[in-house]
Amino acid sequence: MSRTSVWLAGGLLVAFLAAFLIDSPYVAGLLAYALVLGMFALGLGVTLGQMGYVTFGHAAFFGLGAYAAGLMSTKFGFNFWLMAFLAPLPGAALGVLVGFAAARLGGAYFAIATLTTAEILRLVAANWIDLTRGPMGVLVTSPPLPWQTLFGWGQQQSYLFLLIIVVTLLLVGLRNLQRSPLGRAWVAVREAPDLAESLGIPTVRARVANVAISGGIAALAGALLVPKIFVVTPDLLGVGYSATGLLATIMGGKASLFGPLLGGFAFAVLPESLRFVDAARLAIFAVILLLVVRLMPGGIVSLLPGFRRNTRAPTFGQHTLPALLRPDLPATGTDVLTVRGLRKAFSGLKATDDVSFTVRAGELVGLIGPNGAGKTTCFNLLSGFAKPDAGDVLCLGQSVNGLAPHRIADHGMVRSFQQAAVCPTLTVYENALTATHRAAREPFLSALLRLPGCWRREHDRRLRAEACLGAMGLQKRADELASDLPYGDQKLLAIAMALAAQPKILLLDEPAAGLNQVEAAQLAKVLGDLRRAGLTIMVVDHNLKMMMALCDRIVVLHHGAKIAEGTPEAVRGDTGVIQAYFGAAEPTVVTP
Amino acid sequence: MEIVFQQVANGLSVGMGYALVALGLSLIFGVLHVINFAHGETFMIGGLVTLIVTSLLGVPYLLALPIAGIAGAILGLGINRLAVQPLLQRRDGSADVLLATFAVSILIHQAVVVLWGPAPARIDGLPGAIEIGPVVLTNQRLFVLAIGLAFLLALEWCLKRTRFGTELRAVAQSQFASRVVGIEVDRVNLRTFVIAAVIAAVGGGLLSPVILYSSLMGQVVIIKAFVVVVIGGMGSIVGAVVCGLLIGLLESMLGLVTSEGTATAVIYSLLLAVLLVRPYGLAGKKAR
Repeated sequence: MSRTSVWLAGGLLVAFLAAFLIDSPYVAGLLAYALVLGMFALGLGVTLGQMGYVTFGHAAFFGLGAYAAGLMSTKFGFNFWLMAFLAPLPGAALGVLVGFAAARLGGAYFAIATLTTAEILRLVAANWIDLTRGPMGVLVTSPPLPWQTLFGWGQQQSYLFLLIIVVTLLLVGLRNLQRSPLGRAWVAVREAPDLAESLGIPTVRARVANVAISGGIAALAGALLVPKIFVVTPDLLGVGYSATGLLATIMGGKASLFGPLLGGFAFAVLPESLRFVDAARLAIFAVILLLVVRLMPGGIVSLLPGFRRNTRAPTFGQHTLPALLRPDLPATGTDVLTVRGLRKAFSGLKATDDVSFTVRAGELVGLIGPNGAGKTTCFNLLSGFAKPDAGDVLCLGQSVNGLAPHRIADHGMVRSFQQAAVCPTLTVYENALTATHRAAREPFLSALLRLPGCWRREHDRRLRAEACLGAMGLQKRADELASDLPYGDQKLLAIAMALAAQPKILLLDEPAAGLNQVEAAQLAKVLGDLRRAGLTIMVVDHNLKMMMALCDRIVVLHHGAKIAEGTPEAVRGDTGVIQAYFGAAEPTVVTP
Repeated sequence: MEIVFQQVANGLSVGMGYALVALGLSLIFGVLHVINFAHGETFMIGGLVTLIVTSLLGVPYLLALPIAGIAGAILGLGINRLAVQPLLQRRDGSADVLLATFAVSILIHQAVVVLWGPAPARIDGLPGAIEIGPVVLTNQRLFVLAIGLAFLLALEWCLKRTRFGTELRAVAQSQFASRVVGIEVDRVNLRTFVIAAVIAAVGGGLLSPVILYSSLMGQVVIIKAFVVVVIGGMGSIVGAVVCGLLIGLLESMLGLVTSEGTATAVIYSLLLAVLLVRPYGLAGKKAR
């Protein structure tokens, strides 16, 4: 029996026990309210915890769900419960809108945009009297649930039963998503957005999807609150609910799934016990928030043992990287990368000046030049992190010019960065697993329900992550946090991640910079192995000794322009190259 | 027709208030790369201090403004120490600062409501008015515009001509490089924060005779300032001022044809529209 079915069975059991055993309608109602708040916080936590974006207006989704379900059932006569379960649709749609408008720009914009969206909706709800009766609110009656008569439960008990089931389903679904490429993409967006793009993760789409899912859950929570409060008022869209959801998520612990649920419970029960200090309630919440942010950023769950559960690395098997690489590689001799007349200027300075070259399958080509020659700019242009002013870049015969980095990675051109870029709070193995994003596409439903196809693909991804770590000699450190690795190993990990993204051509930006002798030797050995396995590689580096020994061909840049190209021997003897590096046309002969 | 001109004059002076708050937000975002959610409450405290010293202590209005500025400086210092500086170096620094300043803004607001009360109050600003044709412009509104412009020019001068301004622009571009060349980044951060707070508090003192003091005025102005900052381009000072005036103008024009709630909703919607069409604002460039 799979974990998922154990969870579902457990949830069902708890739901039955709760409905049968809890006699008091007050307790059942309070628990139901706690679950609704928990569900709201759970949705908010998807954005805040998984992706790290603060939101000040999640009540927009919460209230929208309540109004949508309420209005559809009162104005159009649909069954309320049916409408409540359709409420995630408008929530997700609003999430797509706000997510696309703001989440692609970054956290600051997102926080502002959510706040504003909630205020807009609140003003509309308060002023569109014909539809919403304004501040008076919409009175919504919900029909009895089918199991109320079936089991002879009270109204509150059957409502609680429904909520326990819904929350269980949400937990299972979110847990599955967390362990899918989509969930890992959210974390990568939070930790290192540029790295994520370079590995072929469509970061904008991942962010929009995140906000849509979060908004959908919040809307469902809002709709399911209605049977408890009967009247849907503009307050549901107000700052009060936004703040409550935010505080519940942070107090409980934004990084885990149970944290927000815990926070939701605390916030449902606390106000009941804090009734005597009602006036100062908001102030107390604010003090708690400030204390939690300053002293305990992990929230309540960070105090529980075993709070951080990493995906454990498997014991490493016998999968060799070359075998995994081979089926995907282009035939030896085809042009993998063609650069034609590439130009880029930064306010007059020509960083790349009419550069053309070709890299054929199976080659290891070096790109060298003195400091400021435009090597990194050239890589940025090739990989989509900068847009060329003129010229064309072809990857396997298809123009990738001007595409977003993740699209270029999809064409098979994957780059590494000069500074080691890894996700610091993930383990080495989790980093590699994240990087397998584009190795096997995962349909959303398959990831959400963890269908058999997902299992199979996940197995492939694990194998790939393992093999890439193995190739870099990192299997012994697989369960360590990436931030705990020495710098040299972090750079090797970054290369392992680039490999995990299934490149046809690998662009390495100064892989040896910052490495000591031993690490540099290990790197040179790895690059040699990869080349022998048939991978096409282009390297920028200052370690000329390594480059001369390793490369089949070398392209030399100086002041943005290509000044030489050829075998290491030819380049070494080229007067133009010597001049660029040493500044003299002829070696000065000193005669005594 | 007269009413249109009258609304233009009114809109510009209220817009200057938005501009002064947006200016500080933009300055802080440009230098510290964080959003100070409590900035609106600093504006409100400026109004409250002006109210207290003029009505309770009988201090003349013109003298009350510098006092409001000093109160703003102290508040800015406190917010920076409590909710900004300790969190800046964290990995999730900007998110944590947002949350912490959000908490502080609630605290300030609640403290004022509990200690002083929520009731709005009138403050007498400068007496008198001048008539330009059919348009009556109170001296207070003219004063708001003049002081606002003076602040803008002084800030521009400070940024372009003083050593502190050079340091500030250096820190805005790269904290790391600034540290390397020996700029005390923490001090620049703190001063930037305090300057922004002073501008907001004086702005509150200037505006409260025009719009009535209320403990809610900070919450109202902060969202509009956000709209201004996003449309004007985050980190752009000129953008903040121009857009502040424009938003004030637009708001008072909308006031002629529709209800206040609808007008506000329209202005808020502008923010989403601009984000969709011109993500980095009308004047702003993509900042990284």
